[in-house]
Amino acid sequence: MKDISTNLDNMTPAEFEEYLPELFEAGGGKISEDPRFTQFFKTNPDCAALVRDLETIAEQAKSLFEPTGEDSGPEPADSVWSNIASKLKDAPPGNEDED
Amino acid sequence: MSTKPNPGFFKRNPPIAGEAEAIERAKAGDADAFSKLYALHKRRVYTLCLRMLGNVSEAEDMTQEAFLHLFRKINSFRGESAFSTWLHRLTVNLVLMHLRKKGLQLVSLEETINPSEDDAPKRDFGSRDNQLAGSVDRVTLERAVAALPPGYRMVFVLHDVEGFEHNEIATMLECSTGNSKSQLHKARLKLRELLRQPQNLPAIEGFSEAAR
Repeated sequence: MKDISTNLDNMTPAEFEEYLPELFEAGGGKISEDPRFTQFFKTNPDCAALVRDLETIAEQAKSLFEPTGEDSGPEPADSVWSNIASKLKDAPPGNEDED
Repeated sequence: MSTKPNPGFFKRNPPIAGEAEAIERAKAGDADAFSKLYALHKRRVYTLCLRMLGNVSEAEDMTQEAFLHLFRKINSFRGESAFSTWLHRLTVNLVLMHLRKKGLQLVSLEETINPSEDDAPKRDFGSRDNQLAGSVDRVTLERAVAALPPGYRMVFVLHDVEGFEHNEIATMLECSTGNSKSQLHKARLKLRELLRQPQNLPAIEGFSEAAR
């Protein structure tokens, strides 16, 4: 990644977009709150909107991790557990390495 | 596989009441404990499979495989990561193995470098026309994720939904961390495009439309 720290205000939107993947990774996903970009975002509102939208998407994606409730969300058919249970009778837990 | 514990996962995957006891009992071969672990984790594991595969039947098959695999290997769980993290990593690896057997190239180099016009995010992604109108509800986002090209979807689900780090994803998908980061960024850009016109997103198999 190029060093952008000395050239923030002169950066073009295209350059900013090129840096974005690394910026998101380095900034923990909150570039919109990074004071280094305040001036850049003022002069490039489309870039500010892009960052805001991508942050919204990343933030909302976290909510997909949790099931929506005890009785909602996708659930496998009962036959899945029936199949597992019948196979477990024939195969006790093992010690194969995984962790 | 061996991966150093990620402290973030203990925050995101806090221990579930009764889980530790069920794990210990399951290690001793207690059938009821297996049932308990299945009940605690079936939704997340199945949803992960469904997101990665996009097909109910295959997702159920892989859920079954994942839990059978889990129960065969449960004595090797040493608590170095959250149990659900360990289970999800195991599930992801099984699904990827399944996809490789089917011959699907997971993170296609061609797709990364030279995506088809329909699949790649448009180059004017900084323009005002592409901005989201407001917040994004989870059902709409779920539908948009399902509409992503497979390479983008895989990395997005693993990173932004499941919380895996790029180095872990790179290992799982057998690609570079740079490729993983690039795919994730393109996935988010493509999602932004898709979410601009949510009325065009198809309904998806297996997910409730009511859970907004």
